Amino acid sequence: MARRILIVDDDPNMLVLLADQLRDDGYETTTARNGHEALRLLSGGWPDLVVIDMMMPGMDGLSLAREIKARADLPIIVLSAVDAGDSKADLLEEVAEDYVTKPYYYPELRARISRVMRRLNDRLPRRALVLGPGLTLELHHRQAVVAGKPVRLTPTESRLLYALAANLGQTVVSETLLARGWADTEDADPSYVWVTMSRLRQKIESDPNNPRYLQTVRGVGYRLMADE
Amino acid sequence: MSDSRAREADRLPFRTRLTLALSAVALLPLLAFGALALVLGLVFLPSVAGLGAVLLVVLLVVALLTVPLVLFLVGEILRPLRTMVASVDRVSAGDLSEPVLVPGDDELGRLADSHNRLAADLQRRSVQVGRMLEAIGAMSPSHGVEALVQRASSDAARAFDLIEARVVLGSAADHPQGEVIPGESRPLRAELRAGEEALGVLVGLLPATRGWSRADQDLLELFASEVAVALRNAQLFATVESQNAQLRELDAAKDAFLRGVSHNLQSPLTSIRAYADQLATDRPDRRLEIIAEQSERLSRMVRQLLTVSRLESGAIKPRSEVMNLATRARRAWEALGAGPVPFSLNDESDGWLAIADGDQLDQVLWALLDNAVKYGGGAAIRVDVRPEPARARLRLMITDYGPGVTPEDRLRLFERFERGREQAGDGGSGLGLYVSRELCRAMGGELVIEPAGDAGAAFTVELPAEQAHEG
Repeated sequence: MARRILIVDDDPNMLVLLADQLRDDGYETTTARNGHEALRLLSGGWPDLVVIDMMMPGMDGLSLAREIKARADLPIIVLSAVDAGDSKADLLEEVAEDYVTKPYYYPELRARISRVMRRLNDRLPRRALVLGPGLTLELHHRQAVVAGKPVRLTPTESRLLYALAANLGQTVVSETLLARGWADTEDADPSYVWVTMSRLRQKIESDPNNPRYLQTVRGVGYRLMADE
Repeated sequence: MSDSRAREADRLPFRTRLTLALSAVALLPLLAFGALALVLGLVFLPSVAGLGAVLLVVLLVVALLTVPLVLFLVGEILRPLRTMVASVDRVSAGDLSEPVLVPGDDELGRLADSHNRLAADLQRRSVQVGRMLEAIGAMSPSHGVEALVQRASSDAARAFDLIEARVVLGSAADHPQGEVIPGESRPLRAELRAGEEALGVLVGLLPATRGWSRADQDLLELFASEVAVALRNAQLFATVESQNAQLRELDAAKDAFLRGVSHNLQSPLTSIRAYADQLATDRPDRRLEIIAEQSERLSRMVRQLLTVSRLESGAIKPRSEVMNLATRARRAWEALGAGPVPFSLNDESDGWLAIADGDQLDQVLWALLDNAVKYGGGAAIRVDVRPEPARARLRLMITDYGPGVTPEDRLRLFERFERGREQAGDGGSGLGLYVSRELCRAMGGELVIEPAGDAGAAFTVELPAEQAHEG
């Protein structure tokens, strides 16, 4: 069954073009010209993914993304001209699964979309996950609470932790982590997973050389453990 | 205690005792001397030769009798004085709690009373100073002027035990010193001055039963001046706060504006680019490629201008993601669409990944590669990527084989709107190197120009890196 994508953009040119391109790539698409129309469409049935333009008259992309997240944990990709220096970048990161800066290049967007689609079977409730007395994951806020202090996670780090947390206690092979963390256009290889895991340990483990939560299964992959 | 007090109360006044003692010391030896001389004289007088010996014996006996008498009297007189000295010592050491007990209405009694009053005054004032300091310490500019006025009023009443106290802002002349009427509560007044600036006045009412000395007034004025300083700080703080709020609003407005501009420029460029790509897929045409490349180029310039404005407000917050630097450089080169210019990539960084923000790194790479194409005059471009394990860094060097950079240009190269003089007419923004260096620094790296060599110009991007190994 084809995956369904809802595209919300006030620019009709973009809307038609993007819908055509995605349809050509086998997705089922619906389009909305603004936030209210999008919310109306959502009440009739959930798509698998929503692509939202950040700047729209009336309800802007950020407000719409929040409205959607308040109703269901749908993955959202935001198209935006916002860069890392923008005051809204942090807010955006909290609600958006990913954001693609404009002008986007379609193959890049397509790669990001298929990466998000790959993780659809991983389901985690949108709340804090307590792994032990010193570690709580708040992936919906892209942060971990380590020994009482919040630690920011990069989008990639939270994606990998999401995949591991969705399979808590089980080994997740490196290839799966690679596919969850990076889009195909990013040319990532297993070394990306290794370095990101090592950086994650620096952030969340009290003794990174002797990890308690984020364990390596040599030659296979990684697993996330909770304290007994 | 009560025994000794009762006993001491029976004693004669100090003046009388002193008089008696001095008289005794003067008269007793004389009387004793007379009496002895009389007795001995009656017994031994017939022998005139014995007179000298008699006198000697009399003197000795009298002296022996007098010494203990004098010691006893002196001790008696000094006893209350010693008590007082001990008490004054206690006061000097800061213990004001215990009064000196010297009974009677004589000079010593009055001295003790006077000392006790002084000690009580000192104690009261030290309590006042304590409360004052506490009140002053608790004043914070962030409380705001209104709250400070309220606090200072109640603190003043408490610290000085007043019936009421009020801090009035405005002209001090509106609140002149009230008249002091004996038997009625006494009006107090101290001006609030911070340096030259008069902020208002502190007025209060003292209970009729209490005295008000110069020292009390000095303390009140000291308190008033501290209150004035705190009030002025609060006013300044409020001003700074409102300016900050304005700046934040302006900043937010600027962000919104930039977001709008960026969106309004990038959205059509995205359409142009996408439609050109789509058309080219159906019917390949070099002209469509040029449309796509040039719209891409325009987008990059818009983004660079935005970055400059972000750099100026210090709002660049790079993300730290891992990436292969050589791969990133190759993709940046491909996106640049520089056509026939020969390009070689020499990657010696196997097993090393850079820690960088992808979008920002792309901006740096585009700018440097674009420069290399522009100033290399169509000659080959070479990229070298090498790790520097000791410093956990990756170094990416971009070399062109053009005319190079003149020594005078080298110094100004990284400044805003600077271009090499030779190439001043080519229409570049002059922002590329400035933006690139700032972005590299924001990512914890650096951008430098290599010393002039045989060939062209060489720029090196240095970035934090990690060696990859499973585990």
